[in-house]
Amino acid sequence: MNRYTKGTAVTEILLLVLGAIFLIPIYYLIITTFKTPADAVSHPMGLPVNITFVNYVRAFKAMNYIHVLGNNLIITISSVAGIVMFSAMAAYSLVRRTSHFNRIVFLLFMVGMMVPYQMGILALYKQVAQLGLMNSHTGVILIEICYNLPFSIFLIKSFIGSAVPFELEEAARVDGCGVWRTFLQIVFPLLMPVIATVAILNTLGVWNDFMTPLLFLQSRSKGVLLLEVFRNIGQFSTDWTNFFPMMLLAVAPLILFYIFMQKYIINGITSGSLKG
Amino acid sequence: MNKPNIFKREINYVLLLLPALLIYCTFFIFPTIKTALYSFTNWSDVHPVVVKFVGIDNYIALFKDSIYLTGIKNTLIYAVLAMLGQNLLAIPLAVFLNKRLKTKNLLRAAFFLPAVFSVLVIGFLWNFMYSPSDFGLINQLVVALGFERINFLGDPHLALYSVIIASVWQWVGYTMVIYLANLQSISTDYYEAAKIDRASGLQMFRYITLPLLLPAITFNTVMGMINGMKVFDIVYALTGGGPGYSTETIVSLMIKKGLSEGFYSYGAAFGIVFVILVGFITFIHFTLIKMWERR
Repeated sequence: MNRYTKGTAVTEILLLVLGAIFLIPIYYLIITTFKTPADAVSHPMGLPVNITFVNYVRAFKAMNYIHVLGNNLIITISSVAGIVMFSAMAAYSLVRRTSHFNRIVFLLFMVGMMVPYQMGILALYKQVAQLGLMNSHTGVILIEICYNLPFSIFLIKSFIGSAVPFELEEAARVDGCGVWRTFLQIVFPLLMPVIATVAILNTLGVWNDFMTPLLFLQSRSKGVLLLEVFRNIGQFSTDWTNFFPMMLLAVAPLILFYIFMQKYIINGITSGSLKG
Repeated sequence: MNKPNIFKREINYVLLLLPALLIYCTFFIFPTIKTALYSFTNWSDVHPVVVKFVGIDNYIALFKDSIYLTGIKNTLIYAVLAMLGQNLLAIPLAVFLNKRLKTKNLLRAAFFLPAVFSVLVIGFLWNFMYSPSDFGLINQLVVALGFERINFLGDPHLALYSVIIASVWQWVGYTMVIYLANLQSISTDYYEAAKIDRASGLQMFRYITLPLLLPAITFNTVMGMINGMKVFDIVYALTGGGPGYSTETIVSLMIKKGLSEGFYSYGAAFGIVFVILVGFITFIHFTLIKMWERR
């Protein structure tokens, strides 16, 4: 099982072929963005005859790309920062204090992991409107934070329970260090491995969430990339070569993130799931 | 330490918890409780002000309306088949990838790639590939092989299954990565011992690999099922619920009927039915896993 045998070589070749077939849709998506409509129809799978960037220029303008990308970054970064900070704080408090109240609170958070939030979407819609948060980034950010809190708290709590020694905090307390300073200066830096997992999972989740912006961001100037893709599909549904770059541009930042952080992303996902 | 200091300490621990709790109550707990309350009233666009308590009328009406039952049926078919498809393909894939391959990391990254794309984008991409027009990639292949063109998304008998295929394609790599991590934690000693006993590859898979994969199987099937029950984006991008109501799901109906058409109390009741259904299925799921574990 440890040597590279003939059998392994055959498996490897078969898997490479399978992987290539598996990625055809993505290959198709990418090459079509560089084609003229005629080129795309006559040989859909071939490489572009004359590479054209016109499609990208048009998509860039139609999506108002830079502005909308800014919205995406604001929403994703703020949400992930909020999720990381608030769930680390809550998890720490829940580990170090086991009062009745805290136990009930933890149970409430665990309910959120099971109950799909979509069930309350109507009441949530009302609630957001009443708070005056409709059509605002703040509203979307708070909703994203809310629905990603339970799993993040769960992950960080089990990490603190198993990997952060209480003795360290005892020593700090004897030295007159308060709760907040102990948390910020001693505990938080020790949480980096699990924080990385939480941040990565939530970056993917928040960026790719379509339903929350669809329901809570009405004006186009506040929208996100996925909403632009969605709004343009009708207009460009017959003009594929113009629409394909929009799909790619909407996920391009994530793809770059994936290419550079691939190892961390996959590690984050596996450690997040097998501990859960 | 004196009393005021201990008090201050305890207050600080509560303060640490406060932001998370406040957001969570505002956007999850209260709306959930309100949903439960609304479900027993007649609140809708027709009765926006004088809201009356109507008991379980909404629930009865729900079960008399075939659209909702179709939505539940479609959601269940989607959740079960997508979950099974992902896992039945991901396990063998992970087992093969776990061998000493030279391109292991490349292959793993390749199979995982679709999971990075947003569901909406994957939906639109497959929408183009399924197209019955001259451009549709899959139909070009079908025609080249000498068959009739297939209307994957326009045929009510096929549409739901076409959606499932696209979804399985997107998530099989994600599922596989979790199995792979689980496989890597299994000690090779077991296999060495089995080899001495002249166990076949299939026997080793059945009696060593599969039982030790239980943590990943539990996670992947339970999460696959729960996520399947919540399906919305991929349907929205591929079929919009059509043709007719043939791909309408629970969440898509909740948004369409509940939000857009103003049947609020109806939607709320449907939401409660949804939660009970998910809870019930998750319970059965865990019971089945427990039974398998004990064997």
